[in-house]
Amino acid sequence: MQIRYGLISADDHVHEHPDVWTSRLPASRWGDRIPHLETTADGTEHWVVDAQRWPLSRVAAAGAAMEDRTRELQRWSQAPAAAYDPRERLNAMDQDGVDRTVLYPTLAGVGGQIFGRIPDAELELACVQAYNDWLIEEWASTSDRFVPLCLAPIASIETTTSEIERAVGRGHRGVVFPAIPMELRDVPHLCDAYWDPLWATCAHLGVPICLHAGASTAIQPAADERLSPKVAEAYRAITRPASQLPVWAHFLMSGILLRHPHLRVVFAESSLGWAAFALEHLDYQFNEIRPEGFDLLPSEMFHRQCYLTSWYDQAGIRTRHVLGVDNILWSTNFPLTTSSWPDTKDFIARSFQGVLQAERDQILWKNAARLFGLDQG
Amino acid sequence: MKIKFGLISCDSHGQPDRDAFTKRMSAAKWGDRIPQVVAASGRDGEQVDVWSVNGRLVDSYPFGGGVVNCPAVMGDPTRRTHPRRWEEVPKTVYDPAERLKALDEDGVDGEVLYPNNPVSGHQFPGDADFELDCVRAYNDAIAEYRQVSDRYVPLAIIPYRSPIETIVAEVADARKKGVGGVVMLAEPSLNIPGVPRTNDPFWEPLWAACQDLELPISWHGSGGLAGQFSPPKWDGHSRVAARLAAVAGSSAAETELIPNLLLSGRLERYPRLKWVFAETGVGWMNYVLESCDHEWERRQLWKEGFETRPSEVLRRQVFIDFWYYERAAIETRDLIGIDNMMWESDYPHVSSSYPKSWESARLEGVPEAEQHKLRYQNAMRLYAF
Repeated sequence: MQIRYGLISADDHVHEHPDVWTSRLPASRWGDRIPHLETTADGTEHWVVDAQRWPLSRVAAAGAAMEDRTRELQRWSQAPAAAYDPRERLNAMDQDGVDRTVLYPTLAGVGGQIFGRIPDAELELACVQAYNDWLIEEWASTSDRFVPLCLAPIASIETTTSEIERAVGRGHRGVVFPAIPMELRDVPHLCDAYWDPLWATCAHLGVPICLHAGASTAIQPAADERLSPKVAEAYRAITRPASQLPVWAHFLMSGILLRHPHLRVVFAESSLGWAAFALEHLDYQFNEIRPEGFDLLPSEMFHRQCYLTSWYDQAGIRTRHVLGVDNILWSTNFPLTTSSWPDTKDFIARSFQGVLQAERDQILWKNAARLFGLDQG
Repeated sequence: MKIKFGLISCDSHGQPDRDAFTKRMSAAKWGDRIPQVVAASGRDGEQVDVWSVNGRLVDSYPFGGGVVNCPAVMGDPTRRTHPRRWEEVPKTVYDPAERLKALDEDGVDGEVLYPNNPVSGHQFPGDADFELDCVRAYNDAIAEYRQVSDRYVPLAIIPYRSPIETIVAEVADARKKGVGGVVMLAEPSLNIPGVPRTNDPFWEPLWAACQDLELPISWHGSGGLAGQFSPPKWDGHSRVAARLAAVAGSSAAETELIPNLLLSGRLERYPRLKWVFAETGVGWMNYVLESCDHEWERRQLWKEGFETRPSEVLRRQVFIDFWYYERAAIETRDLIGIDNMMWESDYPHVSSSYPKSWESARLEGVPEAEQHKLRYQNAMRLYAF
């Protein structure tokens, strides 16, 4: 694999063009239930999935690529091309010094959590498949600099695993999975053995499971209504990565990693600032209590199987030997407002002061290349 | 207080005597509702002592039990033994004069006193009148520690169901009696129905009073929010695995609520008011500082009225406690703020460093001048020792 700039961004977002679903799902069968954009009489645009409406401004996110990055897009016509057009995206990557980009969704939920709510299992599957096909056909086929991650349906474990097998067969390199599927529909807790075929399938196919921050807003404290809209948005952005902490703690103590030693798990958009503390804290408490059934420390399970992603951390890079140099992925988080784009080189220079080149390479691209199987030609 | 050892615990738990409430509250008015130690039947049928508050037995602690939470001083190295009868509770837990001996033995100069039994969740239950009388009795009792020795800085609790004038008056009164700070729920509106959110103007007089009276406001542990922002419980977890996940995960509470403290504008409006996070560990503060700075930059929050860089504001006003050796935090102490980190012993709880506190406070590799800050000087600056 050719590396020109020295960065594989392990967490970026495609912005799904609204015709992703309308052009792939038969209108004769699904009609208005197909995910689409709708303009109401007052001119506001809504994102509609299975007749459920969200104001576009609440689900679209491309601040970093907007002319004024403190403004989120309110109408699809304002969407910057680099958000949804693969060729423009390549230009944006060149501008920022990014070799490859690992692609998470936006409208389908930054953590892939939107379609799991659709009660009709067949419609859920059709929406997921349309996304998975589109990402291969329009993005991955345009350039191998795009690293596609598939969505997975959750209505039944059989469709979860069969769709992952199909998508990985088509070229997907990982699976975006909502961390709290049981809040989307009536399925068992993520820690339950019910999901074992999911972990086994990912481990067998050699693709990581990717739990992205923000898949559940229930585990983030609500922004107070007295905060101005921009400050409330900042509050949500600040608390979102931290909401990975309890997800991470529950996952580590679930036993899943012990049962599936070859499974790899990415906690995307985690950032690093809380993690060295959380690892030491969990180990400390673990050693005080010594729970039965665990022959590895939480930090040992983590170092063997887990990854965090960062885009601005300084303390986290200073504590990389606690976190594990092998367990950190870098990213730009494009095109979210929080993104380092177009200043990623400055962010990296600031965070990696005094870090040896070998360790820089590992965190900036080699870990991602190995994890997503990009170094095999 | 004259420093003899060079070590101050910024989070210990002060125990009121068993008659603290019965001798301060009106029996005619409250009868059996007064907090008191009563005899009850234990799980194995043996007679045990239990605190009763508002006529209900207070189910001791989720792990262990006992009439007083003090496993560090029960002589059991595994710390699984809890006092089942009041007579079993060592005097060094509830008698301020006797307790000084434990401090001397452990090489600790002074302690900040957070509540212990029967205060549960930093508050008393019941209606506003009853709650207020309990809080007054508690604050009066815990302030007695200070009257015995200036090696103690007791913290007051507040009556959440009272009007703000009453809350402020109680805090001012407690200050006169000797308390040196206030401990409260991080977001009481999430624990007690009807209480306004801390961003609500309702609370402004309390922030103003605490600033004027130089009383730092503390949250302890998750500030009453453990599990609030966590994935749903899984019944397949063993009890201890569930507890580990919950304890580790609950650090998200302070990590997610300090940014609200900042973005509510409270820190800037009351720039001399100090906030303390006890028994939280300290390393997570790196996240708060960096994520607030990062979003402040990316979203140009100076245009929204936040003129000062968040990390500067936070280092000016936020203090945090550690008790075990956090390697990552010690390595990044310059980023967290060498003036903001304070040691704690958690005496007499299960995690306590007692009686070997100097082992937990060794701080290898830290220059001596910084060691002094972490062990006691930061505490001296913040509290009236």
